[in-house]
Amino acid sequence: MDSRLQAYLDGDLPLEGLPAELRARAEEWDGLLEEIRVTAPAGAPLGLDTRVLAALEADRASAQPGWLVWLLRPRMVPVPPAAVLAAAAAIILVLGLVGLPGGGAIAESRIYVQFVVDAPAAETVHLVGDFTEWQPTVELEDADGDGVWSGRVPLLPGVHEYMFVIDGADWITDPNAAGYQHDGFGQQNAIVAVSTLNGT
Amino acid sequence: MKPDARSDIRHVSDAELVVQALRGSERAFGEIVRRYQDLLYRHAERMTGRRDDAEDVVQSAFIKAHRNLRKCRDPERVGAWLFRIGANACKDFLKSQRTTVPVEKMPGLVATDGDPEREAELGSVRNEIEQALRSLPVEQREAFLMKHVEGWSYTEMSETLDVSVPALKMRVHRAREELQVLLQSYGS
Repeated sequence: MDSRLQAYLDGDLPLEGLPAELRARAEEWDGLLEEIRVTAPAGAPLGLDTRVLAALEADRASAQPGWLVWLLRPRMVPVPPAAVLAAAAAIILVLGLVGLPGGGAIAESRIYVQFVVDAPAAETVHLVGDFTEWQPTVELEDADGDGVWSGRVPLLPGVHEYMFVIDGADWITDPNAAGYQHDGFGQQNAIVAVSTLNGT
Repeated sequence: MKPDARSDIRHVSDAELVVQALRGSERAFGEIVRRYQDLLYRHAERMTGRRDDAEDVVQSAFIKAHRNLRKCRDPERVGAWLFRIGANACKDFLKSQRTTVPVEKMPGLVATDGDPEREAELGSVRNEIEQALRSLPVEQREAFLMKHVEGWSYTEMSETLDVSVPALKMRVHRAREELQVLLQSYGS
């Protein structure tokens, strides 16, 4: 297909900018595109909004209890190696801070946690969570190009929810999280629990 | 009593609806659904080629949006955010179906594998268009529909799909190349 015709159809070239032999072809395309537009459905069928809202109601009804109920429920949770490493790093860091009199208040209150995700096809991976107000401000790195992305983030002690954003578009739940949390609508976020040395 | 425009939810901005929905207002999210269901449905029906599949896709997209509404970074552009969720839902659905048929393998562009009720209600031109669109690879079909049915600019498409403008132009160009067979049929 002639590149000038493509440019016209893209809106980058006026009809007058085409040579005469292409104008007829351009007008044929205009007719076809108009046909495609007018034969497209005008909109949603009657009652779709009612169906959607009923499905939302059912979804809400099936939602799990809130995070406090989840947190207090006794359960066994799998702890992946990355979490063990993160916990070890946290302990080491806290030990170091305890042994350093006069350490800054901010440094004392935050603990570095390592996040790791296997995403070999990704071009970018961001960590988002309640600690970033769900904004993609923390970009993970894959320095050796092996598809394993990681990053260390200073977190306040407590329970945090997070997800990974692949290529700025796909929000995925960490398959190796220590726990999972419903957000009240049935969506699963990954959970990381950060505690100080004395376990409070 | 004189109607108070401020109480009419149809006059509330998208951003305010998102805020209200995040506070738990079902009415606000219902208005969001009503505003954008046509946009999502048109795209879904042309992408899936079937009305019932399109309805399912749109429903699942709105449920996903509701669950993740707090992750909408720009409430003023909630429509574009919803479209992206809907477009991804279409692609997920099509991946699970794998119904794409190369155009050259379709005898005379005649529908043979569709829903009989659906085929019956389609006119011959529309039927040919549906079949030709379904022959396109999913990403080409998506870009072509956004450009030529919804009338999006390449910049808007790029911002919504997070794909570069040159890549989107390439998809649309390739879609047009594929659809030239339709032009021959249409012009005859």
